[in-house]
Amino acid sequence: MNSGDFKRITENMWEIPVSFKDGMRVPARILSSGKLIDSVDDKVIDQITNVACLPGITNYALCMPDGHMGYGFPIGGVAAFALDEGIISPGGIGFDINCGMRLLRTNLTLDDIRPRQEKLLSRLFATIPSGVGSKGFLKLSRPDFNQVMEKGSHWCRESGYATESDIEHTEDGGRIDGADHKAVSEKAVSRGIIQMGTLGSGNHYLEVEIASPENIYDPEIAGHYGLDRDNQVLIAIHCGSRGFGHQIATDYLQAFSRSVRRYKLEVRDRELMAAPINSEEGRRYFAAMASAANSAFVNRQLITFGVRRAFREVFGLDDEALGIETIYDVAHNIAKMEKYTIDGREMTLLIHRKGATRSFGPGRPEIPQVYRDIGQPVIVGGSMETGSALLCGTNTADRETFGSTLHGAGRVMSRMKAKKSTRGENVRERMKKSGILVKTKHMAGLAEEAGFAYKDLDAVVEAVHDIGISRKVARFYPVLNIKG
Amino acid sequence: MKTPLVIERRFFYYVFMSYRLSDSGSSGDIELAAENESLEGLFADAARGLTEIIVDISDLRSDRRISLEVDGENLEELFFNWLSEIIYLKDVDNFLLKDCRVSFSDGQKRSLKGDLEGDDIDPDRQNLKIDVKAVTLYNLKVEKKDNHWHGEVVFDL
Repeated sequence: MNSGDFKRITENMWEIPVSFKDGMRVPARILSSGKLIDSVDDKVIDQITNVACLPGITNYALCMPDGHMGYGFPIGGVAAFALDEGIISPGGIGFDINCGMRLLRTNLTLDDIRPRQEKLLSRLFATIPSGVGSKGFLKLSRPDFNQVMEKGSHWCRESGYATESDIEHTEDGGRIDGADHKAVSEKAVSRGIIQMGTLGSGNHYLEVEIASPENIYDPEIAGHYGLDRDNQVLIAIHCGSRGFGHQIATDYLQAFSRSVRRYKLEVRDRELMAAPINSEEGRRYFAAMASAANSAFVNRQLITFGVRRAFREVFGLDDEALGIETIYDVAHNIAKMEKYTIDGREMTLLIHRKGATRSFGPGRPEIPQVYRDIGQPVIVGGSMETGSALLCGTNTADRETFGSTLHGAGRVMSRMKAKKSTRGENVRERMKKSGILVKTKHMAGLAEEAGFAYKDLDAVVEAVHDIGISRKVARFYPVLNIKG
Repeated sequence: MKTPLVIERRFFYYVFMSYRLSDSGSSGDIELAAENESLEGLFADAARGLTEIIVDISDLRSDRRISLEVDGENLEELFFNWLSEIIYLKDVDNFLLKDCRVSFSDGQKRSLKGDLEGDDIDPDRQNLKIDVKAVTLYNLKVEKKDNHWHGEVVFDL
């Protein structure tokens, strides 16, 4: 993209005016650092300006600094729709509904785990199913799965798989209101019911990471989030709703392909198929999407349950001594009803976040009481060689980006190119030399997920920090990795 | 009598394989382009290409047989639904397709019957590569050009 064509609103925000493309109802805004702006793909510009054409879109269509091409919306796309005339689109949420990140703290340090790291890696790998064809340890009945869909993490607490603290430290308490199992196809149920508690494959992973003192940027907030010792051991979990969410997206893309004509919606991309929020189809998709989002919270919670079990077995300590607690669990692919002040009037809007994280600042009632004075934790995943980052939500995000920020490093190299560039065995050896042990069922997948296939995590984190839509708190480096 | 049939099909697969896997516009995913003289062959090639993304197809046995029927409002939707069914069978029935025969049930080509043969997922004897989770509508095409049927599809991984 040639940024000279667009209006620079602030140091790190560019605006594409409505005159750019026929049919744009609002401008599009690209958030990026000065260094990254010229690398934004033309397809991303085309996609985000298509989003700006959708009915009911409010203020502007936004693309986060880690944005790259997706289907329909770019990944990193955020858009808010008025409830009366707006739409809901699976292409604005993603196939993997509520793909997200969870970060767990522990009472352990690097010195505690180094002597047992190989045993810990093997135990985690055996406990958390991953890869093609993996099935969860639970044999859920259909009534149980209906509860999973509608109650989310609350079902886990009732069934003994979650603590009260886990629920409190999950976005929306691990349950999106409005879920209805009757809006979900039998096909989706049969894919979902056997996969709860599994990591999946592709870019999904479970990582044991270290918070070393030199990588704590804001010690006060870090302490508040539960980082309270040098070289503390943390666990990052990246996964979503598995085949369940994908089947729901598939089902409703098709349903909307038929209803779009009836509602006379003009969409410029088949992956932007949509329905009015207030239509029968729109309401049903929201109910199905919320069901998948709740199942993804359950999925990450069941993996947390497995992590606790594996640590107990390896270290011979009880839960209190291990202190494995959820710092926070955030959704990356989701649509939610949220309140914003638009032109001096409070409005409820349907916020689509696709490859973007909620970043609510201090004072928002939706975030846990314990974080309400400082802002919510934002967990950002990098590649398996680079670890994760922890940030803090801000009021600037509430004002500028519908409470949204980046979600990860974003790919820069395709899977096939990465696989041609290196072999999985080479990546594993390189990681071992850097002090990272990795275990996977699919060695070729390691090459596809190599660090060089992703953007520089620090650069995109720096960009959102400079823009002010989230603040840097800490950076973590991996020591053990299970790749799905 | 089963073994010669399998060898013949493998031979057919390697020599006349008529699909290509490449990077999709979205760098995380893979595009499949298939070409065949017949529409039935195109659908079968695309199904084999889909499996090849997930596993080395030569690692698969032909122990299991499944028949299925698929409908669509038009040819592209039928193609989308057909490939979605293969993904569904992988997740729910633990089934990986090795080969298939496709026949259209009506002159309009809005419904088909697929006779599939394949294998259970078994990481101990198969080189599993990456999971395919969904068919996308991005650049989805089924068209006839120069007396050949062409199909393009991008899979979400």
